[in-house]
Amino acid sequence: MASHADSIAGDKRQVTNSPKPSPRHRLSEIVSTYGLAVVFVLVLVVFSALRPASFLSAANIGNILTSQSVTALLAFAVMMPLTTGRFDLSVGYHVGMAQVLVIGLQVNNSLSWPVAALIVIAIGLVVGLVNGILVTRFKIDSFIATMGMGSLLYGVSNWYTDGQQIAGFDLPDSFTDITQVVSSVPLPAIYVAVVAVILWIVLERLPAGRSLYVIGSNARAAELSGINVARSVTATLAASGVLCAIAGVILASILRSGTPSVGPEYLLPAFAGSLLGATSIRPGRVNVGGTLLAILILAFSFSGVQQLGAPFYVEYFFNGGILIIAVALSVYAGIRRRKAAIAANNG
Amino acid sequence: MTESQPVLQVEGLTKRFFGALALKAVDFTLMPGEIHALVGENGAGKSTLIKILAGVYERDGGRILLDGREVDPRQESLPLAFVHQDLALVDDLSVAENIALIAGYPKRGGLIDWREVTRQAERIYETMKVEPLDPHRLVVTLSAPEKAILGIVRTLARNPRVLILDEPTAALPEHDAKRLFDAMRQLKAAGTSIIYVSHRLNELFGLADRLTVFRDGRHVHSTAMSETSPERIVEQMLGRSVELVRAHREAKSSDASVMLKVANLIVDRRGPITFEAKAGEILGLVGLRGGGQEAVGRTIFGAKQPDAGRIVLEGRDLLLGDGIRERIAAGIVLLPGDRLGESICPGMSLTENLFINPGIRQQSAWRPIVPRRERAETARRLEQFDVRPRNAASLIDWLSGGNQQKVCIARWLEAQAKVLILEEPTAGVDIGAKLAIHDMLRRATRDGAGNGAAVIVVSSDLDEVSALCDRALILDRGRIASELQGDELTMDALIARSSIGSGLAPAHP
Repeated sequence: MASHADSIAGDKRQVTNSPKPSPRHRLSEIVSTYGLAVVFVLVLVVFSALRPASFLSAANIGNILTSQSVTALLAFAVMMPLTTGRFDLSVGYHVGMAQVLVIGLQVNNSLSWPVAALIVIAIGLVVGLVNGILVTRFKIDSFIATMGMGSLLYGVSNWYTDGQQIAGFDLPDSFTDITQVVSSVPLPAIYVAVVAVILWIVLERLPAGRSLYVIGSNARAAELSGINVARSVTATLAASGVLCAIAGVILASILRSGTPSVGPEYLLPAFAGSLLGATSIRPGRVNVGGTLLAILILAFSFSGVQQLGAPFYVEYFFNGGILIIAVALSVYAGIRRRKAAIAANNG
Repeated sequence: MTESQPVLQVEGLTKRFFGALALKAVDFTLMPGEIHALVGENGAGKSTLIKILAGVYERDGGRILLDGREVDPRQESLPLAFVHQDLALVDDLSVAENIALIAGYPKRGGLIDWREVTRQAERIYETMKVEPLDPHRLVVTLSAPEKAILGIVRTLARNPRVLILDEPTAALPEHDAKRLFDAMRQLKAAGTSIIYVSHRLNELFGLADRLTVFRDGRHVHSTAMSETSPERIVEQMLGRSVELVRAHREAKSSDASVMLKVANLIVDRRGPITFEAKAGEILGLVGLRGGGQEAVGRTIFGAKQPDAGRIVLEGRDLLLGDGIRERIAAGIVLLPGDRLGESICPGMSLTENLFINPGIRQQSAWRPIVPRRERAETARRLEQFDVRPRNAASLIDWLSGGNQQKVCIARWLEAQAKVLILEEPTAGVDIGAKLAIHDMLRRATRDGAGNGAAVIVVSSDLDEVSALCDRALILDRGRIASELQGDELTMDALIARSSIGSGLAPAHP
């Protein structure tokens, strides 16, 4: 049935059909989608050309992947609440507390490592739920709530250890083995891969994940379409808590001791990775693939400049610089996208 | 009006976006002390012209003359004042401070003179001869028309030669818009020239002196308002004749089953309200501001809790304490009137905006999304609802307002709802898209995706209600004041009936 409205729409085909991104805009979308992948390849090519013997050696790759597995898990931890536009600033202190407790429960309480790990993960879940309740029930801004929670957790770590390192002399091999390299594959990399796959499925393939991004885009629209915003936000903070605890167990296994001052320095690279990741793969939103690539770029390029003889403190410049550049890139991409949208809507 | 020198003159103005011409050698003349209406569909070039005058966009060609002198809005600050639909007021500041943000903070000894800030606000309202507001009130506590008037009033602090209003009444109910018009007439009497952009043609008669129609980036026609008619204007906007603006209404068979029954509903301590909506019926809920029609819609949807009453869906009583999720599960959905604030998800694709909550309606939140199936389904809906561009991966931000609205309506029409509540379904949408949306709704309720649903249209656009609805309930102060249906349901009747409630005479010319 050719209705009246149809015929009007037909006439307007050339008139109001301007909303279309230009080819140049399309190109910039493609560039940003695969940008981080290209940068990663460039990093590999440049440094292996400069240090052909050592950079891509199995030992170096194993080292990088092992030490960065903790950062990667924490980047995922901050990514989950970020999908809904919430911050979790407690991750650094949380991983520190988890690491101390996992060693302490084994050394002081003679618990087996799986029991210690499960207790720490359960505590992580509770910490995340408390964060979630503070943010959704008590309406405290996530920035403030998790910052306060972080300081509380740091207090717990120092109270539990009295500020001293817990030496893990008699840790069982089964515990330290969980971060070993098995037939040239570092086990922590496998844990990260498993977590990445699970999170990818949740965020990209399940309605629950779609809901998270919808909340991040327009919380009111989410509410009015029947999404349980409070429960979803709480779930992301709980997931963050669990990921921090897992990262803490892995960190403890790598360090083989519990040090209360370890942890806070992980916060910044975690955010840098997650926010830099938001510029790529799914530009404009934090995402699993982008986060993973960003962490790899950070890790390999830092290792590269170290091999070229850069001092240890370069890492701080790296992380801070990347954080600022990542956010600047997102802001710039957002402005470009808005400009294109405005241009498309005004003819 | 006797001076022959135009205040503002635009000659041969041209603008390209990404190679496409948005303005094609447009001419426009504004005389002193006139209200000049600027109309055209979305994308006709109105906003582009305004943004060039505001210095937001650079022009690619043409001249702009102010009082006969050639000017460049990008280089100099011109005595032009702009008021956009969103008004750009700061909610948490007082009336006086919102005025001071534009007019400047009066200072004494380098510090802000707060007493003078208050006096400045009072003075401006006084010179405008509009109903004064307490300067200390926070903007968040103002009503919609008070905000709109404040938005205009404060731009006048700088004595502009020309005031440019971009759809300031889009969010205002008919009655409130009149207060704004009175304010505009005051300004005009004081010698300010006004360019007025609006999609509501009827309100222009009796308000504007002259009218200019844009179509497809061109200046089509300029005329005195007294020498044109709404029908003529629509023809000029569309570029062809319109045989049928008002929909043909088929008589609904009276034996259709009752889908929704609302009995003795008390909302915000007002009421009681009792009515029924039949399957396949499009029912309008209209009223003046304070009529309570929006609150009734939101209560049925579960976004608001009633004080008392019954809501019966297909003969089954719903729990009054239900929230949104329970009501959606029961089959009641709502399209919010505030498209940007409550409806679309910016930065997300058309697919994601269509399937905003795939877990809706009994489906599990853990059942995987199949992207291929979702894309195919999106393509089908974009085709069916005539959304342009027809690209599922496009961000919703890239669409015009009308097309965004089509996506939002498609979202809910396809939810297999039993009751579909639509708030202002075509507010701020151009006339082509408006007719398309009306047609889409009629077809959907007849034999499409919304087949058998009861559709409730909460609208302040009386023209829309008369064209679209089978029946309309007119609310006044939380009660149903009267009911119109069939041939009685005309725009004039709606205006007359809804005005009686507040003792106003019908205002339609």
